[in-house]
Amino acid sequence: MLIDADAMLGRHPRRDVGQGTVTQALARMDRFGIAEALVSHSWSWLHDPHQGNLKIIRLTEGQPRLRPCWVMLPDTCDETASFVTSALDNGVAAVRAYPADHGYDLAGKDTARLLDAVAEAGLPLLLDAPQIGWPAVEAIAAARPSLAVVVGGLGYRLLRQAAGVLARTPNIHLGLANLSSHCGLEWLVERYGPRRLLFGTGAPARDPAEALTRLLWSELDDESVAAIGSGNVLGLLRQEARAA
Amino acid sequence: MSIETAVWSRRPQTGVRIVDAHAHAGPYSLFFIPEAGPEAMVRVMDRCGVAHAVLSSHLAIQLDATEGNAQTAEIVRGAPDRFTGYLTVNPWQDPVGELGRWGDDPCFGGIKLHPDLHDYPLTGRRYAPVWEFAQRTGCPVLTHSYDGSPYNDLAQVEEVAVRHPGATILAGHAGATPLGFDLAIEAAQRQPGLMLEVCGSFNTGPDIVRMVTEVGAGRVVYGSDFPFIDLRMSLGRVIFSGLAEEDRAAVLGGTMTRLLQWRSGLER
Repeated sequence: MLIDADAMLGRHPRRDVGQGTVTQALARMDRFGIAEALVSHSWSWLHDPHQGNLKIIRLTEGQPRLRPCWVMLPDTCDETASFVTSALDNGVAAVRAYPADHGYDLAGKDTARLLDAVAEAGLPLLLDAPQIGWPAVEAIAAARPSLAVVVGGLGYRLLRQAAGVLARTPNIHLGLANLSSHCGLEWLVERYGPRRLLFGTGAPARDPAEALTRLLWSELDDESVAAIGSGNVLGLLRQEARAA
Repeated sequence: MSIETAVWSRRPQTGVRIVDAHAHAGPYSLFFIPEAGPEAMVRVMDRCGVAHAVLSSHLAIQLDATEGNAQTAEIVRGAPDRFTGYLTVNPWQDPVGELGRWGDDPCFGGIKLHPDLHDYPLTGRRYAPVWEFAQRTGCPVLTHSYDGSPYNDLAQVEEVAVRHPGATILAGHAGATPLGFDLAIEAAQRQPGLMLEVCGSFNTGPDIVRMVTEVGAGRVVYGSDFPFIDLRMSLGRVIFSGLAEEDRAAVLGGTMTRLLQWRSGLER
């Protein structure tokens, strides 16, 4: 079974990905054998996180294969009031942050209390590598050992920066979307174990065929592939269920 | 067993001859590559059922064409059934000498240009010996292409295709960005000697289908850029693109196999 921990609904301003509807997302998941997906909305990324978060709840209501993911902001301007309480009330499965695109320091004082609350609620924190530096990722994760931090979109140039952070900080995980270092997946699993990797596609901006082919045609054993494909993310989401 | 079924069953595919038209080998200073050598490359190829790869060593493209081309030849000689070399021509490092040294060596089946890495425009005069050689022999030329680059954007790629209509030019990465794909398609529609090679970080199956629809399956070739980028990223996009089986087979290897036959044409 595959669960996509890195997917989005909504339009994209710089790629032709269609309307980004639920119907399109489900059809894409069917085509690539993906059972479930964690989805945020592009409005939360490139318009208004609050409205985008409300939108993703409406769109995923009655869609058991789609689990909503909210986008956080620092609470300094009261843009997302009672964020964590509201997220839990609405069945949100994970939280995503775009500190670079939204113009704030995720490792700074402005977000510390909110991240503490996210950790306490057992909600995984999802990040794209281009949004944040590795020292900041390490600082956030090291300060909150119970917070599962998932970094996707590594590309092929970041193993040198990520390796030490992964060794020192066991609550940091990597997503498969654009995890494209040659033999990188096998290298990471050998060093840090299969539990540190999560299947994710980056769809619709990225082609799910990348992560799918990378995982299934990897040199990993079937047990590791199953863990990365769905077991690991289910483990992280169970933390949420326990907390709720 | 279809290729998709091979992926799903985690077995190497055996139904299609897959030729990777854009490969490298060896370490690259800007970032860490696990297992950058040819042994691991062959292992990954075997894992997926990739028959052959055409490569230029990272040493050749990044720093030293002379030492790097020798390294490429050594890799090819170590596994001639699995690898063919691209002869890297660095415009600052004796293009005539490199072509003279390796032009007749069957280890090499193509020429590799990387204007972005060498800070020199694809249209520049220092590349003249390359175009003379390519037109005379039919040897394909793979150039890096990137939308917006001062050295190898699509206008420059098209300009060399106009100037050298007898040359077979592969636009590596097909422009590399969504806008680049559009421009590469348009350039290829105007210039019959121009072909699109599809590796990179931003390509998708739908982009590849559009390339095939707009310029024909015989002018779009699969490449991965491995071990710069893992081979399976680009391969998956082509496999699951939804292309008709015949077109997909051409993209995956049929066309590149044909392009590598130019030396036998010279012998006749």
